[in-house]
Amino acid sequence: MDNSQKRILMAKTGLDGHWRGPTIVARALRDAGFEVIMIGMASTDDIVRAAVDEDVDLVGLNIGGHINVALRAVNSVQEARPGLPLFAGGTVPPHAMKQLQALGVEVFPPGSQLAAIVESAERLTHRSS
Amino acid sequence: MGTKPVLSSSEIELKAYYTAEDIPEPHRSRVNLPPGEAPYHRGFHSSGYRTKPWRIFQLSGFGKPEDENERIKFLLKNGETGFIMEHDRNTADHCYNVDHPDVVSRREDVGLTGAVMQSVRDIDICLDGLPMDTSFAHAGGAVVQHAPFALAGYWTVAKRRGFDLRKLAGTGQSDFNLTYLGCVTKQQIPTDAGLRFNADIIEFCTENLPRWVPVSVAGYNGADSGLTPDQELGSLFANTVEYLDEIKRRNKIPLEVAAKGCGGVSFRSSIHIFEEAAKMRAARLMWSDLLRERYDITEPKTANLRIHCVTAGSKMTYQQPLNNIVRGTVMALTAVLGGVQSLGVSGYDEALSIPSEHAHQMSVRIQQILQEETNICAVTDPLGGSYYIETLTAQLVEKAWQFFEDIMQEGGYLACLDSGWLHAKAAENQHKEFMAMESGEQNIVGVTFAEDDESPYEVDGFMGTDDAFDVATARLNELRRTRHETGAKAALKNLESVCRSESNIMPAMLAALDAEVTLGEIGDVYREVFGDWNTPIQT
Amino acid sequence: MLVSVSQEVTGLIDRALCGERSALARLLSKIEREHSSDVAQLLLGENLGQAHILGVTGPPGAGKSSLINSLLPIARQHFDRIAVLAIDPSSPFSHGALLGDRVRMQGDSLDDSVFIRSMASRGDTGGLARAAFGAITAFDACGWPLIIIETLGIGQVELDIVNVADTVLVVLNPGWGDVFQANKAGITESGNVFAINKCDRPGADKTRQELEESLRLLHADQCPRIVETVATSDRGADDLWQVLLEHQHALQAGGHLEETRADKRRQLFRKLMVNQLIAKLDSALASGESEPLLADMMAGVISIDDAVHRLLQIGQRSGHS
Repeated sequence: MDNSQKRILMAKTGLDGHWRGPTIVARALRDAGFEVIMIGMASTDDIVRAAVDEDVDLVGLNIGGHINVALRAVNSVQEARPGLPLFAGGTVPPHAMKQLQALGVEVFPPGSQLAAIVESAERLTHRSS
Repeated sequence: MGTKPVLSSSEIELKAYYTAEDIPEPHRSRVNLPPGEAPYHRGFHSSGYRTKPWRIFQLSGFGKPEDENERIKFLLKNGETGFIMEHDRNTADHCYNVDHPDVVSRREDVGLTGAVMQSVRDIDICLDGLPMDTSFAHAGGAVVQHAPFALAGYWTVAKRRGFDLRKLAGTGQSDFNLTYLGCVTKQQIPTDAGLRFNADIIEFCTENLPRWVPVSVAGYNGADSGLTPDQELGSLFANTVEYLDEIKRRNKIPLEVAAKGCGGVSFRSSIHIFEEAAKMRAARLMWSDLLRERYDITEPKTANLRIHCVTAGSKMTYQQPLNNIVRGTVMALTAVLGGVQSLGVSGYDEALSIPSEHAHQMSVRIQQILQEETNICAVTDPLGGSYYIETLTAQLVEKAWQFFEDIMQEGGYLACLDSGWLHAKAAENQHKEFMAMESGEQNIVGVTFAEDDESPYEVDGFMGTDDAFDVATARLNELRRTRHETGAKAALKNLESVCRSESNIMPAMLAALDAEVTLGEIGDVYREVFGDWNTPIQT
Repeated sequence: MLVSVSQEVTGLIDRALCGERSALARLLSKIEREHSSDVAQLLLGENLGQAHILGVTGPPGAGKSSLINSLLPIARQHFDRIAVLAIDPSSPFSHGALLGDRVRMQGDSLDDSVFIRSMASRGDTGGLARAAFGAITAFDACGWPLIIIETLGIGQVELDIVNVADTVLVVLNPGWGDVFQANKAGITESGNVFAINKCDRPGADKTRQELEESLRLLHADQCPRIVETVATSDRGADDLWQVLLEHQHALQAGGHLEETRADKRRQLFRKLMVNQLIAKLDSALASGESEPLLADMMAGVISIDDAVHRLLQIGQRSGHS
């Protein structure tokens, strides 16, 4: 077994426990050879601490609520780990999508293809170029 | 055409057409039974919607209690015939006050999914001017650990307004599927404590609120997590059996009365029209069989299964959201063809946010058009006698009982939640469903197919109000300053000792609400006394 | 051969030793991704052996993570900083992994005094990840006084944790004896302290009795202690911590701590060496070069001894290519 596995942190910014989407995405990423660290519903502090301590290559946020909560998490991660890529999915209405994209976050709204999400993870972690 | 079999969502193989010979016995001999006769698959009343159209019952709520009050009044004015109080899920589902660190760190989320109600004062504001004495109300408390608080709050306000609890009609749901299967919270009481709460509520209502539906087992949240229609049916009745067996074990109230209380259930109405309509018919039949065979109950009024239905939120698409008005209509029609008693239609903006006022109005309008213009209320069980529908009904009943038996083999419904067995079933189906979409086997219009047309209307997510957190914080502080502290502390202490005993929790809960004890304080007692459920899945 | 590691790694080590958290985190990745033992050896000169190492093991689903979560706030009263290494299995098919232990350890008490690191087993069969030893060395060198390691759910036979931890806590559930009949001995032999978690479930008394019996057979004098817990409501956590502390104190007071550790380390290194040998042998057997050798051996032309010797030489070469 080689040792080049990339590590992805998956967190939910809201206190909403819908697990359909995140579970399917996490499974797809695992099946594509990623090590996925799942921390469930996590506060901004939890997300930042995990991003640092776990030394992940990518952070995935499941967003399900007010966009400001997600933006706070994104800003804090970018401050603690400059240059660390992020992507996001979940209930992200158009206005929120634009705000996230402006921060360099790739966004996958409901209905996105898993293949596109995996492709993005590979590109963002430089597993493919 | 290839030879690949065509399957329903319950994986029943479908024929190209059906004849009378396809209907299996013993169902074939029941086809000609009229509605109003056991086993009631054709409906409980022969006159159906002629005498009583279904109740238009929409989930509603956001922001401050006064915002929610305004939205409920708007819906009632627009033709809703019952009302639902939705509590803010950040606080309610977890029994946290707004100053809990997990809530503070997400303060903008507060009020997005319902009004923040931390004490009886908030509930009073939310109910201002609402017809509590004449309307069927959903008092909130969809979540098991939150139900005693929400119900006690509603009843306390009713008592203060001089209404007789014995005449009050409504429900509180208190449903396991919602947070133990569908939408798993960060912290909640273990399932055995939840079962105790629900049995307490059933007993309390039996003695004090005979018109109240104490609990409402909701297949919806199982189905929208991935359970197929047969599994939704099987798990729903396995859940009901937990309640009835517990009531029987306690032996404090007549089982028939408890069974009547458990006979108000909710299902998801999804997009496969005929299978979903057959599911409602199968549910009535199964309820009647279950009562007779397992509990020896044949009393017709008890065997009357009342079905509330919500259209499948997960079928609503993010892309081209106006298409969802059509999806909502189809799923609403499906439920009505199945003969449900009450219906909520998901907003067309479901995949984007909570419903906007316009989306809410459309959900009501869909139902009004069906009721007023289509003449659908004229004939009971309009699908009855269709070779296809009758065959599907019989096949669903059989598959559902099989799933029920599987659950029993695994130790029962609650054991299947504790072990993650049901979650695994749901996840397996989700995965299949997703892969069918991914591979192009299942097209979704506007998402994987016909993606190119431009919607002329920009639909964006509705974000409610932005002062819910601040106002809730101010009110919490105000309450702490002005309530009778000694009384509140004593009521809370009493609640804690009742929690530790085997007594019914509801009298102490009513006293606590009356003494202005807050939601978060009650949650702290739960966490101290009952601990935390050991979530079997990675969320 | 002393190791060659990059400037980057030596820089990371310096910063990590100075207490820079992100440098330690990155160093752990280096240990995982590169030659784990090489990086770890660089640390051997540091002030090692200061940390107390607590291993937590037990069958899948026993509640190891939740129990660690209950112990953390109590342990914090005795140790100002705690490192947790949580190991989950890698998928043998994709080599990816779902690492979900951390989600159960995010109690309210979590702050910068706790460093949780999730690690995938990446094909290791002993219940740890291959990089676990290196990671523990790194935590130790960087002055983390308590290191808790959560192993894979044991089901297999090998229990490397025994050779890594000072104290091994085995977490079981009521009814465990019926389910894990086959591997009972392995589990009972490995523990210094036992927790019967989810003890509010039926069968706790019977499980305790059975466990006591099998432990008495193993230990003539000092029987390991058994504590009953319910991790989800923190029940029994205080007692359990006391018992764990007592085990640690007994180790120190007995004066045999260093001796025991050296013993364990020898066992561990032996295991690591055996693994290396097997890997080399396997890679030699997979190469075309081994064919004539095997034929000779089977024909009796050369001895098994000779064949092994020459296969290892081949393995040495192909391992470097």
